[in-house]
Amino acid sequence: MANSKSVILKIKRQQTPESKPYWEEFELSYRPGMNVTSALMDIAAKPVTRQGKPTTPVTYDSNCLEEICGSCAMLINGQAKMACSALIANLKQPITLEPFTKFPIIRDLAVDRSVLFENLKRVKAWVPVDGTYDLGCGPRQSSEMQEEAYPLSNCISCTCCMEACPQFNDKTGFVGAATIAQVRLFNSHPTGSALKKERLKALMGDGGIQECGYAQNCVEICPKELPLTKSIAAVGGQVMWQAIKDLFRT
Amino acid sequence: MASSASSIDTSSARIKPGVAPLRAGQGYSFVLRRLHSLSGIVPIGAFLIEHFISNSEATKGVQAYNDQVKFLTNLPFVHVLEWVFIFLPLLYHGIYGLYIWYKGDSNVGEYPWMGNWLYTSQRWTGIIAFIYIAYHVIDLRFLGVHLMGGGYQNAFSKVWFDFQSPWVIAFYVIGIVAASWHFAYGVWLFAAKWGFTTGDNARRKFGYVCVALAIMLIGIGLWTITGFVQTPASQVPYVEHD
Repeated sequence: MANSKSVILKIKRQQTPESKPYWEEFELSYRPGMNVTSALMDIAAKPVTRQGKPTTPVTYDSNCLEEICGSCAMLINGQAKMACSALIANLKQPITLEPFTKFPIIRDLAVDRSVLFENLKRVKAWVPVDGTYDLGCGPRQSSEMQEEAYPLSNCISCTCCMEACPQFNDKTGFVGAATIAQVRLFNSHPTGSALKKERLKALMGDGGIQECGYAQNCVEICPKELPLTKSIAAVGGQVMWQAIKDLFRT
Repeated sequence: MASSASSIDTSSARIKPGVAPLRAGQGYSFVLRRLHSLSGIVPIGAFLIEHFISNSEATKGVQAYNDQVKFLTNLPFVHVLEWVFIFLPLLYHGIYGLYIWYKGDSNVGEYPWMGNWLYTSQRWTGIIAFIYIAYHVIDLRFLGVHLMGGGYQNAFSKVWFDFQSPWVIAFYVIGIVAASWHFAYGVWLFAAKWGFTTGDNARRKFGYVCVALAIMLIGIGLWTITGFVQTPASQVPYVEHD
């Protein structure tokens, strides 16, 4: 039986990084369990606008389809969301899809979010174990430490927290909540804490943790429910202690 | 140069460079921003509380108020104290605060959540308080009859005459509410950003403390205004106005 319910999508499109954006409307027939990514797949299968004009398939990022790879973030009805977990049934129609506004556009809904990778590198968000010989087992972590660390390790680098942040923009060059949460994760790791001082000093640079205005959109928008405001407060305290030590003890 | 045969409209071409990554080890914004945060607590916040308490002497009458002004204006190094602990920190906090506002992009339209509203309200109450304080300081400290150097007996009258205009009273009410709220939420932000209240529970509970602080300050401020407004003209010595 054909489902008579239809889905209207308004998509902001852009041919090249330099060209002018424009809107196209699409009408699809509703299928149970449909999400934004599957709707975009339906459009790719039959790229015809609501007005019947043939067009190109919409470009978008996606990979895992289960909210774990972090690639399909976009503005859905004006808010940063993961397309794969945004169920059509829960969205107000017409559904507007736009690319993130704070990242360079590649094409249509695909944006370049490599700034997050760059930021993670600058705070050394890793455990330093590289060497020429086997270092053996690391120190044992208590279950209490694991419970603190695990939610932080859930970050999928989707950059929703950065898109929704009023302080993340060209004027501040703010590092964003995701990177600060990873600093907390790797500082809490017994081996990772070897780089704690370097991470904290990096976060004192321009665009560092001081640019946080504590609007708390990050923690509201995070699809993986990371304790982002708690992390910013905790790392903020670590950075302050480091600054005080730098001032009085060097 | 775009070819004229191109099907893509490049008339409004604009390549967005994207947000710059963290400049690790560069710049002074950390010190300036933390100094901005600290200056709002001490000395500005500490002075705000002292100022509200001192001014509430107005509810005890003309003499009590003028005696309080006499005590404050006779403090040793009073000009150094007022510049170092009041005027310069206020100027720094106000002007750097405007710069912070300029750099942020409020987005309560898209994300209408409480924290985001408080973020935006901190900017608006800041500018309202800054304009009000500028007027308040220029009017009462630098214009008209001088209260410094023995002019303290004119203190009550100077404020009382200002309050003859309902517009001035309204502006004071707005200024008191804005400054009190800005300070109380600033204390909450200070505790969160400097890593004192790291837990969600602690931040929520400290939020109640800060709301209580705001209400208390607003209450003292409004009570002080009634001290002036309810004093009859017959009790107020005449002051020459410029």
